[in-house]
Amino acid sequence: MKTFRTLSAALFVGFAALTATAIPAQAELTIRFTDGEIEPMPYAVPDFIDEGGSGDYARNISRVVASDLSGTGLFREVTSDAYISTISSFDSPVAYNDWQAINSQALITGAVQVNGDQIVVKFRVFDVFSGEQLGDGLQFVGTTGTWRRMAHKVADAVYSRITGEGGYFDSRVVYVAESGPKNQRQKRLAVMDYDGANVQYLTDSSSIVLAPRFSPSGDRILFTSYSSGFPQIYLMDVGSLNVQSLGEQPGTMTFAPRFSPDGGTVVFSLERGGNSDIYALDIGSGNLTQLTNAPSIETAPSFSPDGSQIVFESDRSGNQQIYVMGAGGGEARRISGGKGRYGTPVWSPRGDMIAFTKQNEGRFHIGVMLSDGTEERLLTASFLDEGPTWAPNGRVIMFMRESAGAGGQSSLFSVDITGRNLRQATTEGAASDPAWSPLLP
Amino acid sequence: MDRGTTISGIGHAAVVVWVALGDWLFAPSVPPPMQAASVSLITDAAFQALQASAPKPAKPAENPPEVVAPAPLQPDLPASEPATEPVPPSQPPPDVPAEPTPPPALPADLPVSDDPQIVEAPEPVAPLADEAQPIPVPLTDKRPKPRPIDRVAATPVDDTTDTPEIADIPTPEISDQAEPDAPVVVEEAPAASPEEAAPVIVTEAVETEPDAPQLAPTSSRRPQSRPERVADAPVEDPVIADTSEADAQAAADAVAAAEAAAASDAQAAADAAAIEAALADVATDAPAEDAGAQDLPEGPPMSGSEIEGLRLAINKCWNVGQLSSAALRITVMLRVEMGENGKPNAGSIEMTGFEGGSAEDAARAFEAGKRAVMRCSGEGYDLPPDKYAEWSVLNLEFDPSGMRQR
Repeated sequence: MKTFRTLSAALFVGFAALTATAIPAQAELTIRFTDGEIEPMPYAVPDFIDEGGSGDYARNISRVVASDLSGTGLFREVTSDAYISTISSFDSPVAYNDWQAINSQALITGAVQVNGDQIVVKFRVFDVFSGEQLGDGLQFVGTTGTWRRMAHKVADAVYSRITGEGGYFDSRVVYVAESGPKNQRQKRLAVMDYDGANVQYLTDSSSIVLAPRFSPSGDRILFTSYSSGFPQIYLMDVGSLNVQSLGEQPGTMTFAPRFSPDGGTVVFSLERGGNSDIYALDIGSGNLTQLTNAPSIETAPSFSPDGSQIVFESDRSGNQQIYVMGAGGGEARRISGGKGRYGTPVWSPRGDMIAFTKQNEGRFHIGVMLSDGTEERLLTASFLDEGPTWAPNGRVIMFMRESAGAGGQSSLFSVDITGRNLRQATTEGAASDPAWSPLLP
Repeated sequence: MDRGTTISGIGHAAVVVWVALGDWLFAPSVPPPMQAASVSLITDAAFQALQASAPKPAKPAENPPEVVAPAPLQPDLPASEPATEPVPPSQPPPDVPAEPTPPPALPADLPVSDDPQIVEAPEPVAPLADEAQPIPVPLTDKRPKPRPIDRVAATPVDDTTDTPEIADIPTPEISDQAEPDAPVVVEEAPAASPEEAAPVIVTEAVETEPDAPQLAPTSSRRPQSRPERVADAPVEDPVIADTSEADAQAAADAVAAAEAAAASDAQAAADAAAIEAALADVATDAPAEDAGAQDLPEGPPMSGSEIEGLRLAINKCWNVGQLSSAALRITVMLRVEMGENGKPNAGSIEMTGFEGGSAEDAARAFEAGKRAVMRCSGEGYDLPPDKYAEWSVLNLEFDPSGMRQR
């Protein structure tokens, strides 16, 4: 009885204390958000300030920056005719309210100074609605002849600061420029800035060239040429344009080359007696290693970014599918499982995805899947889409699209890995087989 | 034989006779006459000649606006062939010269400094807009108008601290309560407030606070919006005191009954004394806590619709389109201090935590959330002033995982 009394009293006291403390407590309101918007971010890039001798450079650089950012589809420029206030000095305070009023969420200010052949570009990025600068301001120093590269570098820095992932504007694309009638098509290698500017031709049109690929450092290019009368792979030094043959063996054809991530090895397909397999060539020693040995066609190898695996296409199952094997060869596992035929797999620079070409029900697609083959997603669909290549940041894919009909011609397109922002790249005439370089040094 | 069987028999017989004699219903229709056209065979060379003489296709017109596009070097581009990664052809093409003649070499590596240099921030950069700057009416970020729902009466609870700059910009359409110090606004406020005052306060509170009756059966959540009750609360604190005393009395009665039954048990008396002492402590502690809580006006709990309205207002400015795939895997938690005018204090917004990624990616996700809070605040979020105690601090959790598409 005594114990019961004590217990009941304790319970009662506890209840009273709970009642007394629970009522006045004010819980902070918590709200959860799970479904945001996906839309281009409005931003403003007033003409950069001329801090001496910059002439048209200041405006041209700011225009290239705007073109780069808007070209991603992630940003939308607020044009200058909507501006309320102007930027009169690089160091002047920002009237955030004026930029908020025109709904510019980001503001990029910059200044350019030219001294003889030297050009200095500096810039800042502001988060307008938070009223603060995003990161540090930066400046680049170069020569006036490189003003476009400097603009691309500014755009890369802005892009990276806002999105959190690396940029891809200061990069190049090597591709096959095509001309002439269909029965006498002339093909030559060309390289251009990622946005189509500064086109330069690397070969003449005396022989057919195909499938160029940049080295990881961007200073060499692998490609396939018919200059010897049958397809062989060659290595070109971009600076000197010197060309040397690789993996040449009598009675064989070699094609579809690609560098390893360290640039020391080239994997490619070698056809002998009607059967093609994948080989690895050590550039330094010249050692050749056979990685696959099957009666089927194995081709289009591509290294994973860490160099440990190779993805390739094979018809060993009866039709083209995508397989992954170790970098030293061995058993391969199939990762494509959908309908249709899969080919030209390319591993993303980030390592998480593989881009591919898919042919199904008379249509071609560019698609992506995770490196284990799951979450396949088709990004494009057309009469003929083929040959994807990744931007250096793994966010954008460029590929070749050929239009239907007798008058159809090939051109280069790019698309975000979300499937948005499909754009045609600017090239001089028809183009195919694009390959994106890494970011320039 | 009944009549139905007779009719059925006649009908079936008629169908059999019809199918046997006519069957025109299932007779195949006459196929349309075959159209034929005369053709002539030509050689491949002749076909290529025809192709070459055909009109040239128009060049694609779409160009990015900025990119410098030199004049085309090869304007004539007739039919093309598929340009693909080659499967080795059975026959190499004839007449292929041995080695291409390379054009002039590319310029050497472009001289741009390897490492960008940090630009020092200017001293006066980017102050928040001070009062001297005119505040234009936002073109796109207009504050959402009050929702057409019943809500708590806009009784001025503790609005004497309203900032004067709001009065400088007359925005009567978004003011849902009277401001004694702002005569321009006062004209509009009375018209709006009576309409929104409604007895459904109780309903909203019940709907959104199902636990309230359980936690406070005799509830202190009574007409909290009246300012005099707020002022008197520290003195009265009727709920806690009454409840405690009533319970104490009941306990005392129970103890007394037990004492009577046990015929003067000394230990029971000691227990009763201990209970009394404990209850006295509780009763004296409670008002002290209440006093602190009542620095802010205590109104009824925010209704579900009010919370959802705030969520929608912020959500429409939460743009995740620029976030990297890594940042889209991160859930960030923000803490925001709100002014009584419904505007978030930009300097107070902080990330209280994140899940699912690196700190660097979380920083980008945090910036997107902060941008959403600030961008859609306009002249202040549409929040009930008499419930300021509830929304003076907001904890916002941004989870974009459901939107990840990469």
